[in-house]
Amino acid sequence: MTAAPEAPADLRVVRQAIEHCHAQGWTDGLPVVPATADDVAEFLATVDRDPDEVIGAQEHLDRRVTVAEAAVNAVMAGCLPGYFPLVLAAWEAVREEPSSRGGAWQSTSGPAPLLVVNGPIRTELGVNCAGGVLGPGFRANATVGRALGLLVRNGYGIKPQELEQATQGVPGRWTLCVGENEELSPWEPFSVAGGVPAGTSAVSAMLIRDVEYVDNRHTEDVEALLRDFADTLARTGAYLGMKHSTGGLLLGPEHAQVLAAAGYSRSDVQHWLYDHAVRAQADLVAAGKESHDVDPGPDPMPMMPSAAEIPIIVAGAANAAISAVFRPFGWSTWSGRSVPVPSPMTSRPEESTP
Amino acid sequence: MSLFDDIVDPTRGPAGSAKGRTALAARPGDLAGLRVGLLVNTKRNAEAFVQEVAALLESQHGARIAVQRTKPSIVHPAPAEMLAELRAEADVVVVGVGDCGSCSASAVADGLQLEAAGIPAVVLVSDAFRVSADAMAALQGTAGYEYVTTPHPVASLSREGVRARAERAVPEIVTLLTRPVVAAAS
Repeated sequence: MTAAPEAPADLRVVRQAIEHCHAQGWTDGLPVVPATADDVAEFLATVDRDPDEVIGAQEHLDRRVTVAEAAVNAVMAGCLPGYFPLVLAAWEAVREEPSSRGGAWQSTSGPAPLLVVNGPIRTELGVNCAGGVLGPGFRANATVGRALGLLVRNGYGIKPQELEQATQGVPGRWTLCVGENEELSPWEPFSVAGGVPAGTSAVSAMLIRDVEYVDNRHTEDVEALLRDFADTLARTGAYLGMKHSTGGLLLGPEHAQVLAAAGYSRSDVQHWLYDHAVRAQADLVAAGKESHDVDPGPDPMPMMPSAAEIPIIVAGAANAAISAVFRPFGWSTWSGRSVPVPSPMTSRPEESTP
Repeated sequence: MSLFDDIVDPTRGPAGSAKGRTALAARPGDLAGLRVGLLVNTKRNAEAFVQEVAALLESQHGARIAVQRTKPSIVHPAPAEMLAELRAEADVVVVGVGDCGSCSASAVADGLQLEAAGIPAVVLVSDAFRVSADAMAALQGTAGYEYVTTPHPVASLSREGVRARAERAVPEIVTLLTRPVVAAAS
């Protein structure tokens, strides 16, 4: 706990300061923490980085952002200083996504970065990996993504109904940050596929267009379970109009364990889904999607571009056999690169409790 | 000095390159005998739209289609070498069709790049994306830049629908390509 000031200022001034930030157009609609130079310095002290280092650019908009600007927006998002190394790593992970360097932030799709955290940083910062992992209630999960969103808004100047043209946007945009439930996952951490060894803190990012619930808790038939996932993955509405769409699984621990107990590795699950998430060409025609490509492709049409491009993450509580399918943006997929997260240089364990 | 002056401005990043207002290229009196260049993005119906426009410029105004280029990236302005090709082979250029969040903005950037290179250009944007197109014009230092809108949507139209849209758009396209450039309003 931070000690209360001895001579408390008029607390109404705090609210006026927050309103000042709204009036400047600096917020995402929720109150932000007004940042002072001292706050920003405190965040910058957690990393060994040049504050003026440019960490992102939208060349077509003539906008660049720096480490210092990321720190300002992390303060405003409500992060603790110790979250800042994760914020910078998550920003880098998002930048690895090909579509984020194009027009993703201006897109009518309004995609959301899904951040996946692995390794000891989860417990160090209190990143939720278990119950309610996609919901509110955990400071690190809620504020790290928000910091990135504020940086896009304030640093790149991309705001809704201006340069950002999301038709509806994705529920949870800038708030989708989950820890992988490594303790209950039967497989190696997701970040291993992204090139970071198990046991090392890392963050991965995928730009996604939706998250859809898959409830399958009344069967022990593993193929029936997989068919339920494939059905959701193969829906025609996810098809952007290019050759393939992509999709991934956010598996609840129970589903992951059922699959592993039946002998399925993560790769086996990916291959099964690639083979079975298919649609008849007639289905595509019926949905008006026959013009997806000059070459209509095989019949039935695989709706996933490849087995490897079906990311599978384990997160949530082991209290029901519930999972989710998510849909990466357009025809792009995960970059396949996770970003290591250094521990904060000035650790403040007493402030790390969510 | 107010108390809130101590709040750090989160938008105060590295300065962009200050862009002055783009001087529009000098306009021809009419299009007769002129070479028309087409700059298309990869959106569905964009190519059909600019081709239908060009066909009408040929049949109604005596121009001829000289060159067509497709941008490698829908979201980024055309690369320098593509602009150089258009400059070498066309007297006026039709750019289109901006009908998504980032491609509408980038189409406006293309139009301004061409104007800066001395080529009269006209940009086609779906009317749903006026805000994005205007924002890009302002970013480029040329707030108030004029372009031609067509009703949204474009991607779902049949070829006949595209042709009808082109017919509606052509008079304004011709006006923007031939009307003497008014001194830049600020």
